[in-house]
Amino acid sequence: MRKWGFRHRGGDARKTPPINNRIMTMTDAVQGEKYRIVRIDGGYRLNSRLCAMGFIPGEIFYVSGASRGGPLCVVVKGTKFAIGRGMAERIQIREI
Amino acid sequence: MMIGKEITIALSGNPNSGKTTIFNNLTGLRQHVGNYPGVTVEKKTGETKYKGYKVNVVDLPGTYSLTAYSLEEIVARNFIVNEKPDVVVDIVDSSNLERNLYLAVQLMELNTPLILAFNMTDIVKKSGKKIDISLLSELFGIPIVETVGSRGLGSDKLLEAVIKVVSSRKEKKVEVKYGEEVENEIVKIISVLKKEKIPTFEFDVRWIAVKLLEQDRDIIDTLKKTSGPKYSKVEEVTAGAIGHITSILRDTPEIIIADGRYGFINGALREAYEEASLKKVDISEKIDRVLTNRIMGIPIFALIIWLMFQFVFTLGKYPMGWIELGFGKLSVLITEIVPQGLIRSLLVDGVIGGVGGVIIFTPNIILLFFAIALLEDSGYMARAAFVMDRIMHKIGLHGKSFIPMIIGFGCTVPAYMGSRILENRRDRLVTMHINTFMSCGARLPVYILFAGAFFPAIAGNVIFSIYLIGVVMAVIMARVLRATRFKGESEPFVMELPAYRIPTLKGILIHTWERTWMYIKKAGTVILAISILMWMLFTFPMVGNNYSQDYKGKVNEIEQSYQSGEITERELDESIAVIEAKMAGERLAYSAAGRMGRFLEPVFRPLGFDWKMVVATISGIAAKEVVVSTMGTLYSIQEADGQSDSLKTALYKHYHPLVGYNFMLFTLLYFPCMAGMVIFRKEAGTKEMLFQIGYTFLLAWAISFLVFQIGRLFI
Repeated sequence: MRKWGFRHRGGDARKTPPINNRIMTMTDAVQGEKYRIVRIDGGYRLNSRLCAMGFIPGEIFYVSGASRGGPLCVVVKGTKFAIGRGMAERIQIREI
Repeated sequence: MMIGKEITIALSGNPNSGKTTIFNNLTGLRQHVGNYPGVTVEKKTGETKYKGYKVNVVDLPGTYSLTAYSLEEIVARNFIVNEKPDVVVDIVDSSNLERNLYLAVQLMELNTPLILAFNMTDIVKKSGKKIDISLLSELFGIPIVETVGSRGLGSDKLLEAVIKVVSSRKEKKVEVKYGEEVENEIVKIISVLKKEKIPTFEFDVRWIAVKLLEQDRDIIDTLKKTSGPKYSKVEEVTAGAIGHITSILRDTPEIIIADGRYGFINGALREAYEEASLKKVDISEKIDRVLTNRIMGIPIFALIIWLMFQFVFTLGKYPMGWIELGFGKLSVLITEIVPQGLIRSLLVDGVIGGVGGVIIFTPNIILLFFAIALLEDSGYMARAAFVMDRIMHKIGLHGKSFIPMIIGFGCTVPAYMGSRILENRRDRLVTMHINTFMSCGARLPVYILFAGAFFPAIAGNVIFSIYLIGVVMAVIMARVLRATRFKGESEPFVMELPAYRIPTLKGILIHTWERTWMYIKKAGTVILAISILMWMLFTFPMVGNNYSQDYKGKVNEIEQSYQSGEITERELDESIAVIEAKMAGERLAYSAAGRMGRFLEPVFRPLGFDWKMVVATISGIAAKEVVVSTMGTLYSIQEADGQSDSLKTALYKHYHPLVGYNFMLFTLLYFPCMAGMVIFRKEAGTKEMLFQIGYTFLLAWAISFLVFQIGRLFI
């Protein structure tokens, strides 16, 4: 796995750290760590859109950056996306 | 030899797959930009010749899939289904096969003649990966051609493959299977579609069934509309199928189906591709750590925008000066050739004044679109949106909206055109509708004149307050428009941050040229017509011999006193200029515009405006800086500009400072100018343009009304 000097958390820093293998949302992801997508709760339109971009249950991704309170930078299937927090909250993930 | 055979190919592909570069390589400058009928999605077409064929090339919008998620996707899909291009060429970024082939699989499912162009194969080779093209081609049942768009390689091979597909039509090939559960439901839906004799148009019936499972709104609405009550049976079966799949597979059908497509792709890649795993994002990652840094991101963005602003307006000043000089010379030339009278006035004041005033912005347009193309093609634009998204989101806009808003401080016309960088129609329209409040350069002379006349000691602060009010109004109106006319959940924010690339000069130049040419064409047609109309309003009816005083007699008197040596030559010139300015004032008062001013005066009375201010406002429709010269004419001041002291004195004598400030406010708030409106219409349609005119005018009136009525209580 890729090492990053500091472990920024993509999400809200006040939240307690995730326990291993627990299901959480994408905003809880620690920057640079790899996770697996478990579920997407977006409604059929958003689901189709996210799937077309490669956000699909079972897929591995990592968060490469985030702007404070703004969107996250997520790398999935070799491409980097900016994804809004509202949307990231609807994507459930699990550590691998 | 075959002659006159015409074929149409459609280019499809993911955003950032290099589709536009391939399109440019194929067609060169033989391009035409328009819109798809009824929507604002841009349609680019071009043509080329190959082996006796005339090949029309249509550049479809870049999409990730063919669902009905966005307008672009529906447009791309409908074009393929309705227009039936002879071949669809899907441009695939071969350094990112799995993701790009997702669209290819959907095109396959549409059962359209298809070729895959594996673009950027050089990058793949450099990284040491291997793709077994012939095996992949066999597994997909689709011809595959290798291209390197950035170096112009592979275009001939691509056209060769197109001709081959056209001359040997193959029937349906490989089919993607979605697993037993889903397949069973597909069969059920197909049978009910057939039993109820639901028209499936040009679509493949299996494809319709899959789309129904994916709950594709566009398809559902079309079927509902065309088959009426018969559709309820289909709806019932579909709902049952969706429920069944969801309960057994614990995921909704659209996810299962997407999974099936990726499964198919990965199956093929496992055999034909050396590595199909998570790709490293390397150099781009390093650049991103700086450009999208939590702390540095926004300052860097601000710096880049500042540089762009300087580039567009500071550098643009020089060619603008030359153009102005050119038109000035032209005016002089016409004045010399054409005898005094209506025709000269039409040419000099109407045509050159109007069209020239618009052409003069061309250098700005060229530089702006050059800068935008540079930012877009290099990949920075997406980062800018990322960095600004949080702030802009708060006022209901998109991160990218910031760029046209900044440009609006220079000139609203390129700002409207620059709003194109926003893909979402709602974001684009709101951004355009509030752009007029970003006080443009042409309004500045008006502020300088009025602030100088009424608040000479604090003119700078007064002008700044107007700019600030503009920004505040933009923020307020963005929220208001979002909550009313452009309601609805704001588009969820997902956007690709493509790998940084060095843009090609050719691509940037083509892009810049397209926009510029569109602008010049408008200046020559619509704006010419409006300029002539405005000229007529300000010229007719003519006073003829009905001046209130015998000006001609006065001129003769003065000339006589000059000849008898009573006054100097300078005094003569000055006195004649004063008389001529008075005559011009009277002519203007007598003209249709002057009459309109008087007629509309009651409407503006509650704002404290008199008819002269109304006439100036009307003239400001042509261009805001014209307000100053109109005021000058009305107050019979020759050579009026923002610095004119005699005009300032005249204004100070006639109006209360409150009215002066109010007039500045009004000038800020009502829509920018006719050139702006023409471009607005071109970009957003007649309805939106009328809305823009109507709402900014009402808003300007309402705000000025409040300021005057409340302010009056204190004076």
